[in-house]
Amino acid sequence: MELLVAQLLNGLVYGVLLFLMAAGLSLIFGLMNVVSLAHGSFFMLGAFLGLAIVQVTGSFWIALVLAPLAVALLGIVMEVLFLRPLYARGHMDQVLLTFGFTFVFYDLVQTVWGRIVLRLPTPAILQGTVDIGAGVFSAYRLFLIGFGFAIAVLLWLLLERSRIGAMVRAGVDNAAMAAGLGGNIALLFTGIFGFGVALAGLGGVAAGPTLGLYPGMDTDILIPAFIVIVIGGMGSLRGAFVGSLLIGIADTFGKAYLQSIALFLIYLAMTVVLLIRPQGLFGIRYADAPPSAVARTMPPSTKATRAVGLIVLAVLIVLPFGLPDYPRALIAEIYIFAIFAMSLDLILGFSGLMSLGHAAFFGLGAYAVAVLGVQFGLDAWIGLAAGVALAAAGAALIGFFCVRTGGIPFLMLTLAFSQLVFSVALKWRDVTGGSDGMALAEQPSFFGFSLSHSLVMYFMTLMFFVAAYLGLRRLIDAPLGHVFVGIRENEPRMAAIGYPTLAYKLVAFTIAGAIAGLAGGLYVIYNGFISSDAVYWTASGDILIMTMLGGAGTLIGPPIGAAVFLLMKNVASSYSEHWLAIIGTAFICCVLFFPGGIWGSVQKLRGKAAP
Amino acid sequence: MLDLDHVDAFYGDSHILHGVSFTVRDGEVVCLLGRNGAGKTTTILTVMGYLHPRAGAVRYNGRDIGALSPYAVARLGFGFVPQERGIFPSLTVRENLTVFARGGRGDDWTLERIFVLFPGLKARERNLGFQLSGGEQQMLSIARALMLNPSLLLLDEPSEGLAPMIVQEIVQILHRLKGEGLAILLVEQNLRVALALADRHHVMNKGEICFTGNSAELESNDFVLRNYLSV
Amino acid sequence: MNILDIEHLNCAFGNLIVTDDVSLSIAEGERHVIIGPNGAGKTSLINQIGGQLRSKSGRIVLEGRDVTGQAPSRISRLGVARTFQRNNLFHNLTVFENLRLALTAKFGNPLDFFSVAARDQVLAAHAAELMRKVHLDGQGARIARTLSYGEQRQLEIGIALAGKPKLLLLDEPTSGMSPAETARMIDLIGALPRSLSVLMIEHDMTVVFSVADRVTVLYYGKILATGTPADIQANARVREVYLGMAH
Repeated sequence: MELLVAQLLNGLVYGVLLFLMAAGLSLIFGLMNVVSLAHGSFFMLGAFLGLAIVQVTGSFWIALVLAPLAVALLGIVMEVLFLRPLYARGHMDQVLLTFGFTFVFYDLVQTVWGRIVLRLPTPAILQGTVDIGAGVFSAYRLFLIGFGFAIAVLLWLLLERSRIGAMVRAGVDNAAMAAGLGGNIALLFTGIFGFGVALAGLGGVAAGPTLGLYPGMDTDILIPAFIVIVIGGMGSLRGAFVGSLLIGIADTFGKAYLQSIALFLIYLAMTVVLLIRPQGLFGIRYADAPPSAVARTMPPSTKATRAVGLIVLAVLIVLPFGLPDYPRALIAEIYIFAIFAMSLDLILGFSGLMSLGHAAFFGLGAYAVAVLGVQFGLDAWIGLAAGVALAAAGAALIGFFCVRTGGIPFLMLTLAFSQLVFSVALKWRDVTGGSDGMALAEQPSFFGFSLSHSLVMYFMTLMFFVAAYLGLRRLIDAPLGHVFVGIRENEPRMAAIGYPTLAYKLVAFTIAGAIAGLAGGLYVIYNGFISSDAVYWTASGDILIMTMLGGAGTLIGPPIGAAVFLLMKNVASSYSEHWLAIIGTAFICCVLFFPGGIWGSVQKLRGKAAP
Repeated sequence: MLDLDHVDAFYGDSHILHGVSFTVRDGEVVCLLGRNGAGKTTTILTVMGYLHPRAGAVRYNGRDIGALSPYAVARLGFGFVPQERGIFPSLTVRENLTVFARGGRGDDWTLERIFVLFPGLKARERNLGFQLSGGEQQMLSIARALMLNPSLLLLDEPSEGLAPMIVQEIVQILHRLKGEGLAILLVEQNLRVALALADRHHVMNKGEICFTGNSAELESNDFVLRNYLSV
Repeated sequence: MNILDIEHLNCAFGNLIVTDDVSLSIAEGERHVIIGPNGAGKTSLINQIGGQLRSKSGRIVLEGRDVTGQAPSRISRLGVARTFQRNNLFHNLTVFENLRLALTAKFGNPLDFFSVAARDQVLAAHAAELMRKVHLDGQGARIARTLSYGEQRQLEIGIALAGKPKLLLLDEPTSGMSPAETARMIDLIGALPRSLSVLMIEHDMTVVFSVADRVTVLYYGKILATGTPADIQANARVREVYLGMAH
């Protein structure tokens, strides 16, 4: 009984912290239709700034007030300078921009405070324990629960009972109309973004004494907060509150009594909610951002484009002979990630679904090769075939739930499912090696040639890249590819013409998953090693960056993006420890200045040059 | 007070308005007529700052407002009633009225005065926006615009899709507003409504104004009635 | 046998009743027009037949087969095609690509991986024939977004006809059209084969009386009257409802 009460209270503590995150995320999304991946970073920054303030002033309470304000200021600067120019562009660019910022903030925290786990001191007045009848409980934790409930009530009063709150709700309902009545929507957006960020910062400080401070705490709170608003309903404060407490309690009890399968239960709950109420428990259906007004017809390849393709291929065949080992290996890696990026583009660019969980399928392919090789001694090429099949099956299963949604909910669902795959890779250490990873005993041979020779590796990966490119090119020129584009352009109309659109989206998702699995398997053959990092959500973010950087919706763009990203990463990381910040910054600039990606910009220039 | 001077406007690449010019003077009711796709709504959206003219000027009391955003335009004293009415569904009727309300000159519109003019809204004060019928939404949208105490009311097809009796009621209300000296720019497809209210009519076709005149001139111009208004 | 039987259909959005015990039958080959003021529930009725909107109760029977609550794609494949009140095209694709997507659903094999869709001669021939039918000859390479309003409405119908439907649902096909465009649309509808049944919503009385075999008047979700155009014109209640309506 005592244990039960203690667990319940612990669950409430975690739920309250989740609520501080989810409330801001949900408000920002509801009003601005922006999903900020940097929201976890603000939580982390709040905690670390709080620590700095405690170190200077010695007072937790000053930190609890000042740190959120400082973080809010940062958020406001980010909204005004970076997000605001992107509102006209749709949610993909905004998500990517905030993703770029997570790199920068992570690097910042790691540089200033290092990688060890720090702790905010519990304020003196709350250091003891309190007897609550059913056992003793930490005073600070009890305070947190009360504090969180108080904030929730205040938020509710502010939103439902004040004129500012009415303006926010009016803006959520119809921002354009609110502007037409003289509502200063730009100011409202900035205010709400700052306010939401302040709540995250507040959560960070409040969590400091219980959860600890470390780089990576940003994601550890962001993902469950996403699950909360998927379950509770986007844009609903009540949903954020109920969802937070549910997840907080479920997570705590699950970890106490069910250990490693706890996570599955949460994902299962999420899946059930989404199947019954796709908009979440308290959410309302919302209109997605309008599709682009850019004409994107579907011309097939011509003799001219084929000739250019052959020339490029000839160059790629000749290229390695003049290069030393290291660049050969780097280009081989680029080919593998080009395959991965093209597979993502099939759902992102051609079917209009933004996935932030594509690394899951890369991981399934990779682990199939590694596990079958290491545990069962199977040949890597058999492993590769098994990996493609496993990734396809995984994509079909996960896709079954995800394709029912679109837009931001799709993004969040794919993210959540990929984190599920990640948690399996991390926790099932006996099989996967967890975060330590596992290594292939020996490099396999390729038609009798040893892949330890860089030239063999180069041509093996080139061959798969060309095959994947041609296969996808074929698919996109075939009727099936046109059906995907039709769904991207106008899904209700496709349904009215007679296409079961869900089934087709699932086909696209499955094919993309299978090809991602191929890339993952090749990566293990190439690298000889795989760890759970390869399926972490940031890996999905990286591949999203590569695809968007090169230009989504084309087949040429993703390979270009993969090349630029990996070259940049290699060059930056060999010259500076701060390569994360450099990549993040480069990427932010790219989102701001090259909409449509590199290849998209090239095409635009060519289009302008043509009469 | 409002002056459009050879305005060209685009949606993306498509050229919608071609050199649209007209004027609304103090206390005047001006009507834009024309079929779907003629450019009437685009004209109103351009005045309100949702679209910005690529050529020509939109002037308000002599000041060029073409580059202003909707919120800045609204604050100059424009009361906007859009075609789809734009009721905030999750706000109550009362909140819809008060959320962006602003004080104006001497005899301001207040909730009390609004409820006298729109007794139906008083009865539904506590209802949420989405619980209203089409007619009630239209009344609320007009009332909400009045709560901004505007100098100029912009109405985009207030009669669209409403039962004849309700259209009559709205015409009477607009008549009273006209009587109080409020300037109104009205977009209509319903010729009876236009003839009942407007001092001057501009008929639009394919983004251009192809006829300008008073009610008598419009009624006697068979060519315009037949070709541009399908009456 | 009737192509379509609607039996005691009910539908509501929250407490707003949009379809109130509607029963309606359409014989094979019939041209049936629904009229009524906006908000009468006309489009909602079409949406229920097309599967876009779920009914609360009642049955929708297509050629004797109960299709109530089926998905839009399923209903489409059973031979019901529709157009939308607001142009609902693939705006960023060409006219040809718009038609080809619609044709592939019926005549092509969408899962065919080995052909080049853009070079399918059979579909191209079908598409050319459709373009002739809807008066868009030679316009195949134009982006749908750049078509005039009237041409877009014609393309709407072209897409609907692509699947060789048995029942065509038209939601205000002439709204916003000039008299010349309207006349062209009347011709186009008049030239449709009698094997095809048509259920259409229309405001323009000229169109109604030149097309309709029978007319149904909807008013606040209820059927006010059904009958031949002459019956409807003579119906006192209908005249009362339409009094004051300009169109």
